[in-house]
Amino acid sequence: MWESVFYKEWLKIRWFIVGYTLLGILCIGYLFLTLKHNFAFTGGKNVWNTMLFQGHQFYSLFKYVPLAGGLVIAITQYLPETINKRLKLTFHLPLAENNGLLLMQAFGAGSLLIAFLIFGGLFTGFSLIYFPIEIVADAIITILPWLLAGFAAYFMAALVVLEPNRVFRFLYSLVGGCFLTIYFASAGTAAYGPANSGLFVLTVLLSIAVVFSAYRFRKGEM
Amino acid sequence: MNNVIECNNLTHYYGEKLVFENLNFQVKEGSILGLLGKNGTGKTTAFNILNGFLQSTGGNCLAFGEDTQRLSPATKARIGFLIEGHIQYSFMNIHQIEKFYSRFYPRWKSAAYWELISKLNVSPTQKISNMSCGQRSQVALGLILAQDPDLLILDDFSMGLDPGYRRLFIDYLREYAKAENKTIFTTSHIIQDMERLIDDVLIIDYNKVLVQSPVSEFMGSFRRFDFELNKDDTELKREPFIMNIEKVKNKVEMYTFSPESDVKKYLDDNKILVSNFAQVKMGLEDAFIGLTGKY
Repeated sequence: MWESVFYKEWLKIRWFIVGYTLLGILCIGYLFLTLKHNFAFTGGKNVWNTMLFQGHQFYSLFKYVPLAGGLVIAITQYLPETINKRLKLTFHLPLAENNGLLLMQAFGAGSLLIAFLIFGGLFTGFSLIYFPIEIVADAIITILPWLLAGFAAYFMAALVVLEPNRVFRFLYSLVGGCFLTIYFASAGTAAYGPANSGLFVLTVLLSIAVVFSAYRFRKGEM
Repeated sequence: MNNVIECNNLTHYYGEKLVFENLNFQVKEGSILGLLGKNGTGKTTAFNILNGFLQSTGGNCLAFGEDTQRLSPATKARIGFLIEGHIQYSFMNIHQIEKFYSRFYPRWKSAAYWELISKLNVSPTQKISNMSCGQRSQVALGLILAQDPDLLILDDFSMGLDPGYRRLFIDYLREYAKAENKTIFTTSHIIQDMERLIDDVLIIDYNKVLVQSPVSEFMGSFRRFDFELNKDDTELKREPFIMNIEKVKNKVEMYTFSPESDVKKYLDDNKILVSNFAQVKMGLEDAFIGLTGKY
């Protein structure tokens, strides 16, 4: 039955996830094109100097790309379910109480994960052409909270979109917006090193938040 | 005969507003029960409670013996549910939606779905969002028939349908239900449609059940008497046997479960002089309006 749920979700998000992944790849391509340009025109010494001593991150353009992805996928996935209260159709499927919704969420998060793995793979691969492993590792540590923010935005947006009560929706949006700033609190390279594991646990915990909105929907909240 | 649905002392409030109180009704296996009520009497609320989309303030509903708030997947598979307005996943096309649902239901009958769809003259890649309301209703019905459920819950199935599609929907549904011994619990704003479909009727008014009986029994016992008052300003005293009186100038419609003799005795006892007294034959819609009032 999970195949059927995944099939439905795929039909909803396929153009958006493919389009988003292509845009993300273009963004990464642009980062390294710019880097190559800088190496060629300003010289390697200058690039290294700005990175090591001035805290310049050649990948800062990528900062909000995962966040945007999380929001886009959540909206394209869950908004159609709220039109005419179509979520009733999901709840009526012969599945255990929250399984339908959790499967939907697993598909959305899985799709994001695949996009992020492609981004991460390309980023790491291209970075290793230009930099030693130590600098690439620091860059990955810096990017990791941005990627986690993509998942957190996805889970929070699902919670907000599926929430049947307008007041709660507003409050969730407010809390969600504030919560997401945690992932972007410091711009320093590898500053999140000690915090990434904690952020990871927090993000995983957020994945079940949607069950609250679903529970309230089923109890007839309006 | 077993009860497929049993609602006991069902009570629901929206905030302070009482929708119904201590509502009791049953739907017998193999029967087609129509729920009739004016707008705002809680028909959709009752359907939502029955499907577990709303928790009642009090009482409970059982479907196949299970509390509808906690239906097991196996029981859900036995219930086909048509949402008001024939809501379906309109981002899918008619082939995709059949593929999607078919894996959920062990008794899935693709042929039943495609037989109905073949009447629509649409291609398998036609998106549901691009279909007319009538065509969407046939897709929704086809999916329910393919599911082969034991119980069909249809919330306002006639909404948005033209007469042709309504007739197609009803005739197809009734034939299917009778041939396969299915149970149907339904509601519709168009009572002529219900008359063609249902065996039993449940009429609710604000806060209470007015009638639950076979349609033939209700139509046989509920009567309308028309007469003209000799004086326009004659007061017609309400008595318990009178269910409703509609009066326009000197023309009166009186609705009751009592025989003609009781009405005549009432007129004589109250010295009300009338002319053109006659019992009028009613359809289900007339009887419903007669029982619940026009307003």
